[in-house]
Amino acid sequence: MNVQVVYCNHQTADLSVREKLAFASEAELLRAYDALRARFPASEHVVVSTCNRVELYTAQEAAGDAPSTRELAQFFSEFHDLPIEAFLGDLLARTGTEAVRHLFDVACSIDSMVLGESQIVSQVKSAYDIATKGNANGPLTNALFQRALTVSRRVRTETRLSEGRISIASVAVGEFGRNIFDRFDDKTILVIGAGEMAEETLRYLQNEGVGRIVVVYRTPENSQRLVHEFGGQAQPWADLDMWLGRANIIISTTGADRPIVDAERFRKVRRRGAGEPVFILDLGAPRDFDPAVAEVDEGVFLYDIDDLERTCAQNRAARTTEIARARDIVEEETARFMHDVYHKATGPIIQRLRERWHDVSRQELELLFRKLPDLDSNDQQAIERTVERIVNKLLHPPLETLRDEARDGTPHGLLDAVRRLFHLH
Amino acid sequence: MLSNVTLLCFFASYLCALALEATRLWVKSAVVRWAAIGFASAGFVAHMAYLLTRASAADLPPLLSSTHDWLLVLAFLAVVIYLFVSVLDRNLGFGLFLLPIVVLMVGASRFVNQSTDARLSAVRSWGMLHATMWVLGAAGVIIALVLSVMYLVQHRRLRHKTLLQDGLELPSLERLGRLNWWAIVVSVPLLTLGMATGVGLSLIESPVRNSVRLSEPSIVISLLLWMGMMGLFVWLLVAPRTPGKLVAWRTMWACGFLLVTLIILEIFSQGGIHGVRENGEDVEAVMGHDLSRSESLAALHRERQLARTIRVPQGDSSRLHRGAKDS
Repeated sequence: MNVQVVYCNHQTADLSVREKLAFASEAELLRAYDALRARFPASEHVVVSTCNRVELYTAQEAAGDAPSTRELAQFFSEFHDLPIEAFLGDLLARTGTEAVRHLFDVACSIDSMVLGESQIVSQVKSAYDIATKGNANGPLTNALFQRALTVSRRVRTETRLSEGRISIASVAVGEFGRNIFDRFDDKTILVIGAGEMAEETLRYLQNEGVGRIVVVYRTPENSQRLVHEFGGQAQPWADLDMWLGRANIIISTTGADRPIVDAERFRKVRRRGAGEPVFILDLGAPRDFDPAVAEVDEGVFLYDIDDLERTCAQNRAARTTEIARARDIVEEETARFMHDVYHKATGPIIQRLRERWHDVSRQELELLFRKLPDLDSNDQQAIERTVERIVNKLLHPPLETLRDEARDGTPHGLLDAVRRLFHLH
Repeated sequence: MLSNVTLLCFFASYLCALALEATRLWVKSAVVRWAAIGFASAGFVAHMAYLLTRASAADLPPLLSSTHDWLLVLAFLAVVIYLFVSVLDRNLGFGLFLLPIVVLMVGASRFVNQSTDARLSAVRSWGMLHATMWVLGAAGVIIALVLSVMYLVQHRRLRHKTLLQDGLELPSLERLGRLNWWAIVVSVPLLTLGMATGVGLSLIESPVRNSVRLSEPSIVISLLLWMGMMGLFVWLLVAPRTPGKLVAWRTMWACGFLLVTLIILEIFSQGGIHGVRENGEDVEAVMGHDLSRSESLAALHRERQLARTIRVPQGDSSRLHRGAKDS
């Protein structure tokens, strides 16, 4: 088996290059598979195309059928109608064991921009499914991708590479919000300002089944955009204190140059309210809530961007410590996969050689027994056993050498020599 | 074989389960979790065998048998809850909060009155009702105590903006507060019913024998504890908007104080509330201190059978037994 990958990812190429080489839809991928089949008929193909990477895996039985990196780059160039010089320098290529290891790294999210993210597994699986749909893959890529998904599962089970949230919004909602509130669908969420971070947090809250959203605005345009995207209602800035008292969750990203809510103001608001816990996400820099607001009462849970970033960093650090363990698993699985592959490659030759020699010995023994009809069955069996032992002893050194060579890769030269020496075609 | 099970067997099992639960704070492993569940299950089986053996020897359900058995039934219920929650939720650090109470109760049961209270068996249905209400109410109190401690730990963690420690995943404050509220609201009426049936029991017994005196210090302390719980109950109902942390603190103090005081009372007041006094003697004294526990239970069993056969009052059968021993 021969396997190659030509790829560019977030580490090797800018987004401007990746987006040009990407396959934006399933239909485009299916067209690409048609083109690849026409161009490289002896190869199997799988394309993994995400926002962070574009990778083309190819595999063939015969080494001579493998397309070169230049030929694959030429395919990209013609399919996307791009000059090859525009991206050739950003492309990387791996073959054999390195290509297998690379795919395992990708599937295990070791190679991801966000280490340990889980999305990549479904993206790899989806790529494999589309290749199947486009009749682009075959037994070699099937074995490779199925093993990649198995390795990914193993890494997730045996390491903590995917544990702990590492984005501000997911930490805010998942690590803190969910530990304060059991549910969000009966909560009032107040959004002050309409920054990107507020949007991302609202997206997480929406996944959790968000309740009522109130956007307090200074500029109606931004608030209308949020209201339009997430539902809810826009309220004028003058009503801020009223909504501060009613909200269970407050997300603030005003971009003001000084805190808009101090402790005294918030204390007055809390006195008028029901005294229920309030979860405040101050995502503004500078901060929108004075840190003293957290001390107004025991029901106030105030988190600013530094608190959340600190938690993200801790989670990231925890994941980083798991990389070594994940790499060990990938290394072990790569070696096992390659061993299986090489074993499959040498297996048929060994089988044929063994059968050929035993056939010859059987034929010669039959001749001998016809010439010596006085031999009884015990003598015949003794001779047969002796000849079999001789054949096995003669076969042992070449087979052992083949097996040893197969540990480091398919021994194409040796296999070819064996075929030619013993006429095993 | 079941009779060979001792208190130490399941006490040690629960202690091991607790140690393993504590280990989960540092070692996140399914093996450790299942080992903790395994030890607790082994303790649970031994615990059940122990209670059954004692119940069969005394010919009484454990709840009616003695304070020792009653406390063990309470611990048994707590273990059932622990196993149920632990199997359902693999991440929840519930055992770390509940198992110490189980260990405390099993340990305390060693020092409380182990002799059978003959008065409860005399009015079996009332006695059963009284003991059941008390044990369920007390189980509710234990749950409320555990939930309030969990609430305070979770609250502290969130206020200090720290990450969850592995193996110590806790439910949200909202859920803990709600469950805590329900635990108190359900357990206090049960304790009240237990209290009321206890008073009823002593009134029923009073014409025929010396019963528990309502003016005894242990009864007065129990009444005060109950009033404290009642105060908490009423406060929860009339002040629904009270901050959760305050509720948790008050619940923790009220329930913790109730449990600890009851156990101390039972240990140091020679039988506690149910200190059996028949003309100044308890059943154990009546039957002779030289008898071992199993002998005394067996003797009580024989005594009852004899009392049923010759149809004489229980007190007279005690005298018969004493006469037989003297002769």
